[in-house]
Formats: sequence, structure tokens, C-alpha cells
Amino acid sequence: MEFPVKPGEYDAMTYIPHTESHGTKELWRTFWILLGITIFDFIIYFALDPTGLRNFIFIFFGIVKAYYIVGAFMHLKHEKINLAMIILVPTIFIIGLIMGLLYEGNAITWMK
Amino acid sequence: MANSTQAAFEKQPMWAGGRSPFNVSYGKLMMWIFLLSDAFTFSSLLVQYGAQRFSNVVTPVTTKWPDPASIFNHFPFIHGVHLPLLFVSVMTFILIASSVTMVLAVEAGHRHSRKEVEKYMILTIIGGAMFLGCQAWEWSTFIHEGARLHSNMFGITEQGYKHLASVDFGDPFHWMDGDRTNGPVPFAALFFIVTGFHGFHVFSGVVINVVVYIMTVRGVFEKRGHYEMIEKAGLYWHFVDLVWVFVFTFFYLI
Repeated sequence: MEFPVKPGEYDAMTYIPHTESHGTKELWRTFWILLGITIFDFIIYFALDPTGLRNFIFIFFGIVKAYYIVGAFMHLKHEKINLAMIILVPTIFIIGLIMGLLYEGNAITWMK
Repeated sequence: MANSTQAAFEKQPMWAGGRSPFNVSYGKLMMWIFLLSDAFTFSSLLVQYGAQRFSNVVTPVTTKWPDPASIFNHFPFIHGVHLPLLFVSVMTFILIASSVTMVLAVEAGHRHSRKEVEKYMILTIIGGAMFLGCQAWEWSTFIHEGARLHSNMFGITEQGYKHLASVDFGDPFHWMDGDRTNGPVPFAALFFIVTGFHGFHVFSGVVINVVVYIMTVRGVFEKRGHYEMIEKAGLYWHFVDLVWVFVFTFFYLI
């Protein structure tokens, strides 16, 4: 196949979907949300004692930030659901790995 | 002409072959698959950190995992002052800001506005370079404090905890003899590996952004008729930001 591809020649390898700008409103909103959460993290860090609750808040807001980055900045919210699923569903294994290894790590503590 | 061909193309049966079932280009789909594999890479590193940390959580107090607030409490040009979390929050802000300029470049690319793409790409590159500079400073400070791959002198004694509890944010602070002792060895090694791996990703991202910027300036995308390369570089750049969210959470906040 020749390069560059002439307009009108479509197949699965050279297909580029037509894209349109949706404006910058959502992007700036996402920016302010991310900034707000980061400042909130900073405040919580000094306002609360280092407990499980504080760690839970940090992880929860980390996941919220990840949702906004992947959804709005990486545009996954507006992609086809098929694409979103093949990217998001395999990350279930990461959750399994976290639970397994933290449990084992904790068990090692008691053997030391 | 081109639009009607495209419309016909998108009307073909989804899984019959010869079209993209996800309505994205081949390059973008492959970038997503690569980012998924990269997500597993970073997860394995962060999970290893978690496992090491969970195996060092209890008594005796001197073998406890180091307290990040007692180590990452420096700020450039301000010496001997206890400022935990401030510098790394600035780094986070820089990365979020460069992420938003990247997404604005993508949006300008959708409008085929070459001048704006150039402007936002330059801002993104500057943001990435600033982040790399901050990380270099962070590493150099950490190494000057005595961090090594094979040892960890950031374990805190009971005296050290009392000393640390007596200082507030912004107070003058220096370690005293007997405040610190040897702690769990993997702490500094994992810090260097994980932030180093992330920093290398930022570096690659800056290189990719520079290449894409040069291509924009030379009018490659204008000739090609679409600015999709900006989107692919943008996906990578946002992923680097995403990883930093979790590095920030697990290494500095918790």
C-alpha cells in the first residue's frame, strides 16, 4: 500500500474516523476538578491523623482522578462501549493481584 | 465523496471484517492496547511496593516503614524548613496543567488550527520538561539525604517520632542524633525504581511531543488531512499523568 493514503481509500488499517471539536468546556471543567481534588488531598493530609480512613480517602480520590483523566482527557467516555470494555475489564486482574499480595505481605509481618 | 465513502465504510457489518469494530483508527487502538499493557507494568511495581510495605507495618517501632512526611519535606531554595508534601503537590499541578494543554492541542487539531496546535504543544513540552527538572531535584535531594539502592537509613526511632510530632508545617527542622536508624531495605530501592520508571515515561513522552511538534511545524498533518497523531501522543501523555496520580497517592500521601 502506498503512503500517504489518498482520501476515500478506506480499510481497517488506514481508516481514520472523522472527528469534530466538542469545545473546551468539559476539558477545563475536568482540569478544575483535578486541581480541586489535589488541593483537597493536601488539606486532608494535614487535617487528619494517619489512619485507615485517611488512606481510604486518598485511594478513593485517586480513583476519582483516574476516572476523570481516562474518561475526559483520554476521551474513553465518548468512545464505543466495546473499546471502553476491552480496556477497562482486564484491569480487574490488578485488583486481584493487590488483594492477594497485600494479604501475603501482611502474613510475612507476623513471621518476622 | 470522501464522506460518502466513509459513511458506507462505517455501515458495513461490525464483525464481518474489513472495518474497525470500535470506530477508531488502527494506530489509536494499538496505542490503547499498549497503554493497557503499560498499566499492568506499573501495577506490578506498585503492588510490589504495597506488599513490601504490608510486610513491615507493625512493631518494633524502629523497623516501621519510613514516614514520607519526614523524608520528602524539602522545597527548592528553602533550607531547613519542614514542608512535607508541598513540592510534590507542585509537581502534580505541573503535570495536570501540561495534561490540559495537551488535550487543548488535540481539540485544536480537530479544528485543523495549526497555529493553536503548535502553541499548545510547546506549552505541553515545557510542562513535561519542568516536571523532569523537579524530579531530578527530588532525586538529588533524596540521595544527598543518604538514600541508596541497597540501604535505608530512614527508619525512625521513638525519639525521632517524638521530635517529628513536635514540629508543624513550616517550622525549622533538622534531624538529631538518634532520631533515625536502619529501616526496611526496599524502601529507597522501590522509590528509585518506580519514580525512575515513571520519569523515563515522562522523558519518552516529551521526546514524542517534540517529534509531533516538529511534524506539525513542517505541515505534515496538514498534508495528511488530519491531526490524529496529536491524539495518539496525547493518549500516551495522559497515561503518564494517570500513573503519577497513583505514584503520588502511594509514595507520598499514604
